[in-house]
Amino acid sequence: MNELMQAASMVFNGEVILVIFAASLFGLFMGAIPGLTATMATALLVPVTFFMEPLPAIAAIVSATAMAIVAGDIPGALLRMPGTPASAVYADEAYLMGKKGKLGLALGINVTCSMLGGVIGVAVLALFAPRIAEFALQFTSDEYFWLALLGLSCAILVAGGDPLKGAISMLIGLSLALVGMDSVSGQVRFTMGSYDLLAGISLLPVLIGLFAITELLRSLPTAGQQASKVETPKGKMLDGVAGTVWRYKGGVARGGILGTLIGALPGAGADIASWISYAISRKLSRHPEKYGTGHPEGLVSASAANNAALSGAYIPALVFGIPGDTVTAIIIGVLITKGITPGPDIFTEQGALVNAIFMVFVLANLLLLPLGLMAIKGAGRLLAVPTGILYPLILMFCIVGAFSANNTMFDVWVMLGLGLVGVFLMENDFPLGPLILAFILGPIIESNFMRSILKSDGDLIAFVDRPIAMVLAILAILTWTLIIASGIWRGRKGGGETKAQVKAP
Amino acid sequence: MRTSDAVSGTMAAALGAVLIVASADLDPLPRQVYGAGTFPKVVGGLLLLMGGLLVIKGLKQRQAWARWTSKVALRPFLQALAAVVASVVAYVLLTPVLGFPIVATALLTLLFRAYHRQGWWRALLFAAVATTMIWIMFAQLLHVPLNPGLLEQVLYR
Repeated sequence: MNELMQAASMVFNGEVILVIFAASLFGLFMGAIPGLTATMATALLVPVTFFMEPLPAIAAIVSATAMAIVAGDIPGALLRMPGTPASAVYADEAYLMGKKGKLGLALGINVTCSMLGGVIGVAVLALFAPRIAEFALQFTSDEYFWLALLGLSCAILVAGGDPLKGAISMLIGLSLALVGMDSVSGQVRFTMGSYDLLAGISLLPVLIGLFAITELLRSLPTAGQQASKVETPKGKMLDGVAGTVWRYKGGVARGGILGTLIGALPGAGADIASWISYAISRKLSRHPEKYGTGHPEGLVSASAANNAALSGAYIPALVFGIPGDTVTAIIIGVLITKGITPGPDIFTEQGALVNAIFMVFVLANLLLLPLGLMAIKGAGRLLAVPTGILYPLILMFCIVGAFSANNTMFDVWVMLGLGLVGVFLMENDFPLGPLILAFILGPIIESNFMRSILKSDGDLIAFVDRPIAMVLAILAILTWTLIIASGIWRGRKGGGETKAQVKAP
Repeated sequence: MRTSDAVSGTMAAALGAVLIVASADLDPLPRQVYGAGTFPKVVGGLLLLMGGLLVIKGLKQRQAWARWTSKVALRPFLQALAAVVASVVAYVLLTPVLGFPIVATALLTLLFRAYHRQGWWRALLFAAVATTMIWIMFAQLLHVPLNPGLLEQVLYR
């Protein structure tokens, strides 16, 4: 109880509330503009959070991402262009509802179900995370090594596409993490004599390069092309929303719980949660034929799922220090730079902070409703923001943001280099999620491996001589077998298909 | 630009080979076979393996060596690429000499003019306002040491 009071006093102070509000507005703006994603919003926020206390820093990221996902629904319904990938699955459905004159209902459902899904996600997070943390207190470096490895391996599998490419993306992330002074032996690795690389490659320029510069390079060529004038819903926004949401209450609950669980899987974020939730909702529906014609049922479930997934991703991040998606990977990076290492100990040592984080989640999700409705009303103006002004501004923000990590120009070069690498990787279907997860998890995997090996005096059997470690090891090895087998199988299948196409007249 | 998986696979395998060679002279820990070179060698080995598999896949499927598959046309993409690279290079090289306010205003003016197409004066005005906002936010509020350069006397009089 004392911890809860302490947490409340941490959250309900002017600075944190102001940060939540300002970050929500920023997320709203970023999410509503097609081409700018929630991850990009987070990457751009990080330089600012570097100068904050841990709680406002997390509050800023949590609020901005939750709002960006909701705001991403707006251009989906108005222009058939999802603002973020998490809205892509139901953009058509919402747009078609708009064509039937139910634009207000579609967007009202988006906002209301996002809020409900988010709150369900927080409830699951607050209920289960401390229990899992109690269990995780028994873990030693052996379990952490396997857990981090398993997290990375799952990230490759759920990233979609070719698992071979996911694995290579992950290995590139691990290679980047190797640069600098080795934490165990103190030997300097791969710095090529550069003094700037002694402490390793900083997280911030990597993040900005991969998620902001890469996206910018893909969006900038279309800058200046103004969106056509959009019609925003008139009259009362929430008319009929309560009735529809109540009718599909099962869908909201299912979307919320499913979204949280999917979000908790390493590598699977809000976009995958909304895809799966929409598909399951269609399968279980009494009217699957209505899907894709402007039917609200799928919208209800998927809108709840993508916001719930945001909270779900924090379960492995807070409990094990293993990020569930790119945003939590960034949060872990931010916490580590502030001297807080996420893991089960954080629940016992910094219980007030953990409870405060949960409260921030609830507040951010409750704010979705008023701010979301405001965004819908002002959508016409939001979407008319000239991208020819916005994109160059983002570029300048990226440069200054990367510089601010260590106040060196070297980091600006790193940002540019990673941005170019990111574009090449994206164009060739290499997912960026595993790369950034590996970059953050790399040092954790290596230091736990070295700690275990030193403890056991070089005996590799020690890695699997505890039951939990053995189970995790078997799961990790199985996942890797799946990755390699699926890569080979896809290669053969693809080869067969290509040959068949060549032979066809 | 989309290259054949054989090309990207070769690049990955090459990175793996470089990691293995570069970590050859890292010493193991005292009385151990493991050390600072262990992890890089494992990562390098896996990169060689995965890269090799990707090369085989690319060759088997007889993919085109390189082709343009992006949604945007090649020309505007190359222009955007040149604009971003040139802006970053100019920023890094010129800021230590001229200072942030002048370089940022000049770069933003050029970029606004190129992408917003609303005349030079308007571009300059927007650029000056944007630079001032970034300066206030980063240099004044967050205390990032942005170089005032030639305007030091004006800004900190």
